[in-house]
Amino acid sequence: MNEAFEVIVVGGGPAGISAACVLADAGIKTVVIERGESPGAKNTSGGVLYGYNLAQILPDYIKRGCPVERNIVESRIWYLSKTAGYSIGYRDSIFAAERKHNVFTVGRARFDRWFATQAKQKGCLIIPGTTVIDLLRDADGKVSGVATNRQDGEIRAKVVLLADGINSALAAKTGFRKDVHPEHVALAVKETIELDPQIIEQRFAVSSEDGVTTEVLGEMSGGMDGVAIIYTNKSSISIAVGANLAQFAKTKIKPYELLEAYKQHPMVSPLIAGGKPIEYTAHWLSEGGYDTIPQLVGDGYLITGDSAMLFNALHREGHNLAMASGKMAAEAIQEAVKAGDFTRNGLSSYVRKMQESFVMKDMKKYRRFGSFLFGTPQVFNELPQVAQFAAREMLTVDGVHKKQKQKLIMAEIRRKVGLLNIARIALRGFRAVR
Amino acid sequence: MPKNSKGREVAEIIRKKCSGCHACIGECPVDAIDIVDSVVFIEPEKCIGCGKCVPVCPTDSILFNKPLKKVSEAVPTKSTSGISEYKGVAVYIEARGNVAADVSWELVGKARELAAKLDTQVYGFVLGQNVANIAHEAVYYGCDKVYLMESPLLQTYFSRVYGKALTQLTNEVKPGIMLVGATSLGRDLASVVATHLKTGLTADCTGLDIDPNEKLLLMTRPTFGGNIMATILCRNHRPQMSTVRPKVMRMPSRDLTRKGEIIEVKFNGKVEEVPRIIETITLDPSSIIDITHSPVLVVIGKGACDSRDFSMFEELAGLLNGTIACSRPLVEAGILPYARQVGQTGKTVAPKLYIGIGVSGAVQHLVGMQSSEKVIAINADRNAAMVKVADYSLVGEYQKVVPELIRGLKARTANFQFQGAK
Amino acid sequence: MHIVCCIKQVPDTTQVKIDPVTNTLIRAGVASITNPYDLVGVEAAIKLKEKYGGKVSVITMGIPAAKVQLRECLSLGATQAVLISDRFLAGADTLATSLTLSSAILKLHADDPVQIVICGKQAIDGDTAQVGPGIATRLGFTQLTYVSEIISLDKEKGLITVRREIEGGSQVVEAKLPVLLTVELELGAPRYASLPGLVRAIREKIETWTAKEIETPPEIVGLKGSPTSVRTIFAPPPRKGGPVFESSSGLEKAVDSLLNELFEKESLLVQEIIKVDGKVEHAKEQ
Repeated sequence: MNEAFEVIVVGGGPAGISAACVLADAGIKTVVIERGESPGAKNTSGGVLYGYNLAQILPDYIKRGCPVERNIVESRIWYLSKTAGYSIGYRDSIFAAERKHNVFTVGRARFDRWFATQAKQKGCLIIPGTTVIDLLRDADGKVSGVATNRQDGEIRAKVVLLADGINSALAAKTGFRKDVHPEHVALAVKETIELDPQIIEQRFAVSSEDGVTTEVLGEMSGGMDGVAIIYTNKSSISIAVGANLAQFAKTKIKPYELLEAYKQHPMVSPLIAGGKPIEYTAHWLSEGGYDTIPQLVGDGYLITGDSAMLFNALHREGHNLAMASGKMAAEAIQEAVKAGDFTRNGLSSYVRKMQESFVMKDMKKYRRFGSFLFGTPQVFNELPQVAQFAAREMLTVDGVHKKQKQKLIMAEIRRKVGLLNIARIALRGFRAVR
Repeated sequence: MPKNSKGREVAEIIRKKCSGCHACIGECPVDAIDIVDSVVFIEPEKCIGCGKCVPVCPTDSILFNKPLKKVSEAVPTKSTSGISEYKGVAVYIEARGNVAADVSWELVGKARELAAKLDTQVYGFVLGQNVANIAHEAVYYGCDKVYLMESPLLQTYFSRVYGKALTQLTNEVKPGIMLVGATSLGRDLASVVATHLKTGLTADCTGLDIDPNEKLLLMTRPTFGGNIMATILCRNHRPQMSTVRPKVMRMPSRDLTRKGEIIEVKFNGKVEEVPRIIETITLDPSSIIDITHSPVLVVIGKGACDSRDFSMFEELAGLLNGTIACSRPLVEAGILPYARQVGQTGKTVAPKLYIGIGVSGAVQHLVGMQSSEKVIAINADRNAAMVKVADYSLVGEYQKVVPELIRGLKARTANFQFQGAK
Repeated sequence: MHIVCCIKQVPDTTQVKIDPVTNTLIRAGVASITNPYDLVGVEAAIKLKEKYGGKVSVITMGIPAAKVQLRECLSLGATQAVLISDRFLAGADTLATSLTLSSAILKLHADDPVQIVICGKQAIDGDTAQVGPGIATRLGFTQLTYVSEIISLDKEKGLITVRREIEGGSQVVEAKLPVLLTVELELGAPRYASLPGLVRAIREKIETWTAKEIETPPEIVGLKGSPTSVRTIFAPPPRKGGPVFESSSGLEKAVDSLLNELFEKESLLVQEIIKVDGKVEHAKEQ
């Protein structure tokens, strides 16, 4: 088509819309191209968002009717064996008061639709139902627009911002992102289970607006390098379990069976009892960490969010990295517009901003974490088994004195893992997150 | 009951039950009701808790526990006083040349049942040119009075002319109920007449009955892919009109000894411009496959997906006067055409007998056949979903079961005919 | 040439799920689409416009969210779109719907005379096929239902020739304009909107008319203007499985037991099935 834009954003998820909002606020003529029938339509994730990051883009997001499912007042961490588990949690009333909406759950389908509407109201053009199939380049090789799957479907722009998710075919087309390796990707399967809000509030002991997140490690990922979650939404509970894609392939474990087993776990099943599964989805998460991040800018383009493999595997943070990167990319574009330079050099302030921000700092901090888990299968096998044995022994009152029990436990640890190994794992784990 | 931020108790929709019929939207005085994702959403901040939406909901999907204020009945647009003049059950007898469509007789049979409950008569409406013999047939099939309107203007069916003719007849005879066969002609004509008469018309009813107290016609029809049934009333307008698909009602017996009155009525219509029929193509009836009309279906599923076995299936279908249909995988494999597909993305069928061979019974398939009268499953897997819903199941390899079934049927039908002859 | 297309927003039935316990459809969360028959009609109208000039107006009666469907029609190339939306219009049956739509068409007609109205044969959620003929009757247009092909249009003489599907075959008819067509899917699938078409549809302002603007008093439209009302909605009882005969314990015996049951317990059905063939009747007459 004839009409030209200053910026084309590919993908209407958190990264793309964050960028679009910031660009529109700066009066830059922006178009967002989304392949789903509406933004969020292709999105399967229900997840947590961080108020801080959203406020950076939309300070008045609550006033604008952001579809918050539940405000998170308690975070739990579970370490599970097949039939038992440890639980620690932290609840703080400050998260229901002064620091309300520090963390909250959203349904991505609804959130993305709402978020896109905000960008639209700011003056962005959002084109749904359209797939970008290629990048257009000018004579110098600078990206100068995109080609879509529609008739008369080329659009020109000064700069293209790629925010089309982990399956981004375009990021690969820039030539700077390598093909995604199975080891660097987790496959997560999620089920949304509908329950009456009152039942959810009872089971998690929260008020009608509040909720709980639970992050789970241990044996429920079938011995694979993986994690699971339980999030409370308004009238449903999201439960998901994910593991490294390469290990899925190796173990031949079916994702659905993994989820079913997780649902049967004695710590999980009472929470979802009587609920009705209303949605089953599967999606990829980038787990490669810092070392798989591609070159973030080139002549006429920038890469953000999941397309840039930005995901903090330990803290399950993806949305906020996406939003923060989208914002920084948009700011870099603003500078490029001022300078009239859309080359790699002109856009390079994006990389600088990223390096200075929590995004890259966190990614760097945990750069070894992925390979730590991947290379330490004991975390998902022997350790939870030993942990179960220990707790079960200590808590069973059967006349055996505690010292005797400790001996038994130590023997079990030696048999299963070995004391030296435990120390080694602990050290490597510490180093990975230091 | 939930409260909004102003502390007011508000109505809330039960999303699971809502049928998305929109009936409540018009009742809301403050525009608090909207449709979100195909079901109703009541905006709590806008709702004033008046409860006006509650009584109109046909599925009781609105959570509201406050005592309701008395809601006045909707104002009828037509005076109800004239309703008592409308009596009798009329059937439009569709003439095709000089024979009537079978569905018309099926409806006369149903009309007799309804008339008995109302203690009234059955009227036949015969329109056309040289169709007097159909009027006599109508008596044999059960009409007490047949109104015969013959005119050269009615030689060929045109919506507008026929619409005027049947409207005139209805205005003169004033039947309380009028039934029309849901053929393509019948559906076309009934809508025109209902619009002229400004009365209600319910399409494709599968059940017709009389409310014992109010003596109203209860019209039951499947909606939305056949999974939900709705019973519809036409309270303040007459006639109460309904169309019914062929083969839904039972064919009555033709009784040559029946007596009835044939009344000729003159058509008041004038000559007017009508479309010109340039060409009519009549297909060989045997070449038209309509699995929705076949009383017996032999449905082939993925488990019997071998085209070499089709002669066997055809033989079975032939024995039962059935038609071959299939589930989706066979269409996707290119073995049978789309017209034969049963299920959510294919046709919804309700045969008298459904025989599934190697049909696993995916939900999408079950939706399309669950109104079948009797279901027989032939399946190798004892745990198939189809076996769980079938009235009778035969577990085994279809290659062996089907020939045995054919043999057994042949033996019995011969026997059966013999007994019938006695 | 002014063509008006009537469209309806319907739930995407391919997405509908079934509650295994109550056996009812779960409509919640199901996306809305343009009734596929209507969309075929819009495509046909746009093709006529491209060939013979003129304009295509698309109208729908519905909730504000139905603008999405109107925009879809604009993206294919419709000239203008009008939403008829008013809470007085909610709960309309086919009679009240055809009144509302024909009133809106008359308003369009006053600005620019309408020669052709196109409706889908039926809507996939209601399957009534009544609204099209109802509109034609109210407007006094010649109605041509079940159109599977538009063969020609003679603008000078004001004649249209179409193929209609009729019971047991088809016919080619020529009719004088103005006409109302109800169309079959065979007429041809809608195109995939071009990018400029899509962008135009996103930006176009969609006019909204209330009941007052189309001059329909509240008493004769919507729920109040509907002669029919729904008394109850219920789910047919879920099917329960019956006896299972295992061929592993003897094929002949299993088939025999099945047939025994059938001929004993379902003798009425068996009789009827064989009667369809006329065998029993013949036997009696002998």
